[in-house]
Amino acid sequence: MDFDFNRIITITLFAATFRMTTPILLATLGGIFSSQTGIFHVGLEGLLDIGAFFAVVGSVQTGSPWGGLLYAMVACTVASLVFAIVHLEMKANEIIVGLALNIFATGMTNFMLVAVLGATGYFQSPLIKGFTPLEIPVIKDIPLLGEIVSGHFPLVYIAFLLVLVVHLVLYRTPLGFHIRAVGEKIEAAEAVGINPKTMKYLGLLISGVFCGFGGTFLSLSYLNLFSEGITAGRGWLALAAINFGEMRPVRALIACLIFGFADALALRLQQFGLPSQIVLMLPYVVTLIVLGASAIHRERRKKVVLKISPEKKDLKLRVGA
Amino acid sequence: MNNHLVSRLIGANLKRFFAEALTQLINYSIILLFGLLVGAMVIWFSGKDPLAAYGALWKGAFGNWAKFADTLDRSTVLIFSGLAAAVAFRTSVFNLGLEGQLYIGTFAAAWVGFTFHDLPRVVHIPLCMLAGVIAGGIWTLPVSYLRLQWNVPVMVPTLMLNYIGILFTQYLVVFPFRDPTATMAGTPVLEASARLPKLMKGSVLNIGFIFALVMLFVVYWFMFKTKTGYEMRMVGYNPSFAAAVGMPVKRSAFLAMLISGGLVGLGGACVVMGFFGRFMSSFSVGYGWDGMMISLLAQNHPLGVFPASLFYAALANGALTMQSQTGVPQTVVGMVKGAIMFFVTIQLFVAFFRGRMRKWILTSTG
Repeated sequence: MDFDFNRIITITLFAATFRMTTPILLATLGGIFSSQTGIFHVGLEGLLDIGAFFAVVGSVQTGSPWGGLLYAMVACTVASLVFAIVHLEMKANEIIVGLALNIFATGMTNFMLVAVLGATGYFQSPLIKGFTPLEIPVIKDIPLLGEIVSGHFPLVYIAFLLVLVVHLVLYRTPLGFHIRAVGEKIEAAEAVGINPKTMKYLGLLISGVFCGFGGTFLSLSYLNLFSEGITAGRGWLALAAINFGEMRPVRALIACLIFGFADALALRLQQFGLPSQIVLMLPYVVTLIVLGASAIHRERRKKVVLKISPEKKDLKLRVGA
Repeated sequence: MNNHLVSRLIGANLKRFFAEALTQLINYSIILLFGLLVGAMVIWFSGKDPLAAYGALWKGAFGNWAKFADTLDRSTVLIFSGLAAAVAFRTSVFNLGLEGQLYIGTFAAAWVGFTFHDLPRVVHIPLCMLAGVIAGGIWTLPVSYLRLQWNVPVMVPTLMLNYIGILFTQYLVVFPFRDPTATMAGTPVLEASARLPKLMKGSVLNIGFIFALVMLFVVYWFMFKTKTGYEMRMVGYNPSFAAAVGMPVKRSAFLAMLISGGLVGLGGACVVMGFFGRFMSSFSVGYGWDGMMISLLAQNHPLGVFPASLFYAALANGALTMQSQTGVPQTVVGMVKGAIMFFVTIQLFVAFFRGRMRKWILTSTG
């Protein structure tokens, strides 16, 4: 084992970073919407699982990856709607509903894998139509940048564009203002005539749609298969990213890129004869470190604020998790 | 007059007790019925006969004494992880890392089991258990540190440690501790002195089940009859109130996490010494996750963990028979579990029946 960093840190590594970031980023953006309305969405992992499964089903049935995307979005929205009804109408604890959703999603996809697709463990078939990579006309000819940025799957570009869109929606439109108001101070929002329930429904449904995107990317890009445990904790990484970004899309993107890089590096290091088990731990260890570091930073900041203005004793920084 | 008052008080309490018990009974019957109904619908959609499937499931779980004993054995580790979840959840510590703590604890117990030779049984078995408890507890320390020192919510870190723990033990059995004669990646077989004695011929039921039963009462006693347990429950119930009256909020959260990890590690020790005989990677089919569901089903009450784990063990064992006899895939059980979780979270039936039932019982008997 010789560590030649020039061989490990290559252009393909950065290109891989973009694609490993994408599913985490999509789940993160979805989770940001529900977090901004004050709901800590533990069910992201389950939604990604459902999305990945139904994308495969849709792709086989319609013969097109976009059909798969549609199926995944519809399935995830329905699942989110169930979550929303159980949490908002029946007043069940959001964390426990989220856990229930995760468990139900695993059970359902594992069962339907056998019952509908007739496969155990994983399903791979030439019938699954995946996306085709997209070359960006001008950029692809630029030497270094072209190799990193161009030639990804459409959903990668959609995901990174969505960061901007989500930022604009949340911070530049009345709707975003209403959503944030509900999460910030629900009584105040109600007093000015915002219906908190509508906003919460909206937030949850949007996270469903985004997880549909994320799930589709997991199963219909690069490998074109669905396997048990395909999500590998990406929904939870998304929660960590939301926590790191304090529910702001652009800051959360940084965390997603870190996780994506760790993921890509893990894949890359596996080819260098390191034990795969140790290498695969990398994204999770990085997540722990990122969570700890951002929390330490936050607490220090809080101390500084308290020093300057002691009257803000009950200052609470909202982190969404 | 005093006498009269006392008898009236007792009578009212008894009635209230029965009203509550009956409500819970109906509540759980409906939850289980609905859960099984969802499963039946799914089986029916997939073109199989639900009744035959459930019949096979019942036979597989309780068909004869040996099967029943096997189900009891399966419930052993579930009881431990259910208790672990109950302790944590009661204290409002969302320890989702039971799976990782289980793997680490089990590996530690197995390591003590196959490394030390020529120890008498009475020393070796407790030593393995101790190793399981300590390792499971240690695996919670990073999370507790982050939570108590830097205010990081425990949920995501515990989950990350799940993945890390599972991958780490996988590494240990694939590389340093691999038994080359084993067909699957696993450690060497445990010494005979580290194996738990069997309780019944023709079944895998062993003394670990007795330990589990004892732990049920120990945890109940700890949570409900000691000062520390009371503080933990109060911290879980209302942390700001507990802090205001001077209860050690941080210590309670720390203890809950530590005990939770220790308990599930002990469960792992029992399952490796009683059932597997060696540590294998991916030995756990979601025992940690089942523990959380069991605890929620038991409303986080230690004694309620027993029937809930028995139910889960029956589902798991029965599913194998169901699959082999009727061809219904055993993964359908996962759906039933998920559906039951949903119905538990809704608590629809409790809310609906509690008021009505109690009123009916209290008025109809005067």
